[in-house]
Amino acid sequence: MKARILNLGLRRRYEQVVGALRQDLYRYALWLSRDPQAAEDIVQESLLRAWRGFDSLEDMDKAKPWLVTIVRREFLRFKERQREETMDPVIVAEIAEEEADPRVQELRTAIFGLEETYREPLALQVLMGHSTDEIAGIMGLNQGAVLTRLHRAREKLKQAFVEDGVTAQVEAG
Amino acid sequence: MNRLTQEERRQREAIVADDAQFEALLDAAFRVPVPEKTPAKRPGGRHWPALVAVAATMVLAAGAWFGLRTVEPVHAVSPLGAEIIAHIHHEPGALAVTASTVPDAELGSVLQRGGASLAAPLGRVSYAKLCPFRGRMVAHFVVQGEQGPVTVMLLPDEESSGPAMIEEDGFKGTIVPIDGGGSMAVVGQPDEDLEVIRDRLLQAVRWKL
Repeated sequence: MKARILNLGLRRRYEQVVGALRQDLYRYALWLSRDPQAAEDIVQESLLRAWRGFDSLEDMDKAKPWLVTIVRREFLRFKERQREETMDPVIVAEIAEEEADPRVQELRTAIFGLEETYREPLALQVLMGHSTDEIAGIMGLNQGAVLTRLHRAREKLKQAFVEDGVTAQVEAG
Repeated sequence: MNRLTQEERRQREAIVADDAQFEALLDAAFRVPVPEKTPAKRPGGRHWPALVAVAATMVLAAGAWFGLRTVEPVHAVSPLGAEIIAHIHHEPGALAVTASTVPDAELGSVLQRGGASLAAPLGRVSYAKLCPFRGRMVAHFVVQGEQGPVTVMLLPDEESSGPAMIEEDGFKGTIVPIDGGGSMAVVGQPDEDLEVIRDRLLQAVRWKL
């Protein structure tokens, strides 16, 4: 009975933590995989793994980077299984067009066209709110490399945004 | 090709020069819409190889039977448990004690629409319905255990890497992975011997992809 109560408490904490982050974890998985179905699969599998290891998470303040790391590892497993990375331009267009503002649409399309090395740190910073130090820890880079990638990612997006080179970049990317 | 007018281009240059404006647009761009529920997918996902898909039309029971016996014993609590119990509460009529039996044709129709079929009789089934669960329609039926009704849900989209238990609101159950993808939830009274029923079901139910 005691074990059951403890388990219930653990599960409530898990649901609280995951519930607050689930949407952003999906978005992060989507920006990594560029495939909504793959993002769903990655998040589902990640959350199963997270639940299995949840009792080992001692500091709830670290729940977000912990979950992000689980999603990232699951994405890397997904990528290993995938023979070649694919990005369906129709799906990209659909996701972009779900936003009414054409400027956001174009930026969204441009982000899809960024190389993963730039796309991921930017997603971790803008979407997940991680500091450069945290991004360095998650991606296994030094802070200098993270800062460089973040700067280049923004420069590429700004260039595409001003020059309207979004379509051409995605086709090439 | 540049389809921006001079004025639009000037406006955009002003935006990228203003960090706050550009960051606001960037933030909006990253916040893509999130599906409310898991979209329907085939067991194993969209990348399922064609040969495996063909093989999945073969008898599920044998694969699941052996698969079940090579994984660790039930210990983890399934995060799906609460949703399954909520679904059961949502259909209280399903657990009503009744002497009626769902006709074979009706049960067959529910299973077929849920992507499954029967290879062996299940015994008396008192309820069978195709139900929405996490974004897709799944077969939900009730068989009779020693202690009362036992709910079964066939979940082709819900992957599980090992048996997981459900213990919620006075119900006890298990979710078992199925070779070829998906899982099956079996939920009954706390003192019900669910393993016997689970094994019987695994021998009887086949995916029909």
